[in-house]
Amino acid sequence: MNSIWAEIGAVVRKEALTEMRARNGIATSALFALVTVVAIALATFNRTIDKDMASGLLWVAILFAAVITLPRVMVTEEEQGTADLLRMLARPEAVYWGKCIFNGCQIMAASFILSFLFFGFTHVGLESPGLFALSVFGGSMGLAGSATMCGALVARAANRAMLAGAIAVPLLLPLVALGVSGMRVAIGPIEADFVYDAGVRAVIGLDCYGIATLAIGVLIFPFAWKS
Amino acid sequence: MIAVESLGKRFGDRWIFRGISFELGRGDRLIVLGKNGAGKSTLLKTILGLAEPTEGTARLPEGDPRNSVGYSSMDMTVYPFLTPREHLDMAGQLRGCAPRTDELLGRVGLAEATDRLSGQLSTGMRARLKLALAMQAEPSLLVLDEPGAGLDEQGRRVLDLIVEEQARRGCAIVATNDPGERRLGNLELDLG
Repeated sequence: MNSIWAEIGAVVRKEALTEMRARNGIATSALFALVTVVAIALATFNRTIDKDMASGLLWVAILFAAVITLPRVMVTEEEQGTADLLRMLARPEAVYWGKCIFNGCQIMAASFILSFLFFGFTHVGLESPGLFALSVFGGSMGLAGSATMCGALVARAANRAMLAGAIAVPLLLPLVALGVSGMRVAIGPIEADFVYDAGVRAVIGLDCYGIATLAIGVLIFPFAWKS
Repeated sequence: MIAVESLGKRFGDRWIFRGISFELGRGDRLIVLGKNGAGKSTLLKTILGLAEPTEGTARLPEGDPRNSVGYSSMDMTVYPFLTPREHLDMAGQLRGCAPRTDELLGRVGLAEATDRLSGQLSTGMRARLKLALAMQAEPSLLVLDEPGAGLDEQGRRVLDLIVEEQARRGCAIVATNDPGERRLGNLELDLG
């Protein structure tokens, strides 16, 4: 039996080469990020954004940048007719992990670019870069796992968009709640210790949620992929 | 090598095919005939496990199906942003077999196009690439769905040689609605 790592590597390489040449995901994310941040900057021109509001706005932007691009990774395979080729060649676990790793890296890159633009344009400060990085890391894992799983579940359905929404909402709500709480503490400043502790717990919860999403996804994915 | 028993597939109330049974041994080449919509492609996908059968079973050759079965179909598309070389390298890595990239691309007549993006290849060249991918692991069962579609005269000769070679190694199933491709087989199944 072939090594699963070699198979995952082959799927990641395929995704990366395709993205490098087609530039669908990154270009869409970057464009969306720029438009969102410019819109926020114009709306708040000459005013200071409330820190609570800033963490919510940033997470909304990250979420939408992910949601408009990530499910395409699975759906495109079905639409362009390459899914059967991949089914004949790769184990479902390799497809899942390969796509999750690629999706995770893509959303992490998009999140950091978006955040860089956001902090630059809005002049909102960042108090705790470590917490911020952990928050983006956990959020990216959770989004990658959710998007890959949702994509596989809806890829062959006729009314994909509606079905994807119905499946994604309950998966993404806890992710957003934890993400916003964590980001709020990362942006700071925090007046009370217990608020800081709650924020740290939210970031830990976010990372655990990301890991749990990935773990559940690997159990569900083979059935969605094969049937 | 392969045994299909009472295989049936239904979409809604309509049976696409039903009660299909056959066995193939080494050297057998089954031609599946039928007009458009007769269910040839669905039958092949059901045999391969790419579609769930409504009833019946299909037993494939022993071993990892990624290596024991080769499949090429009109429905199946290659990745438009990968080159033929990258396709075969990736497939070899996924299957855990030698990629045989230059040998296979030479055999199907793609030696000059190894590093061109597949999206820039003609339909016939992409069909040849799919044949190369199907043959890569020297499978016991080769399943070809409309393999002649898009192939020129030289491509059809390559196809003849591939099916002949497969008969020496194992068995093959070829679905077609081209009467000329009946030459490839020694057994026939007509879906009407």
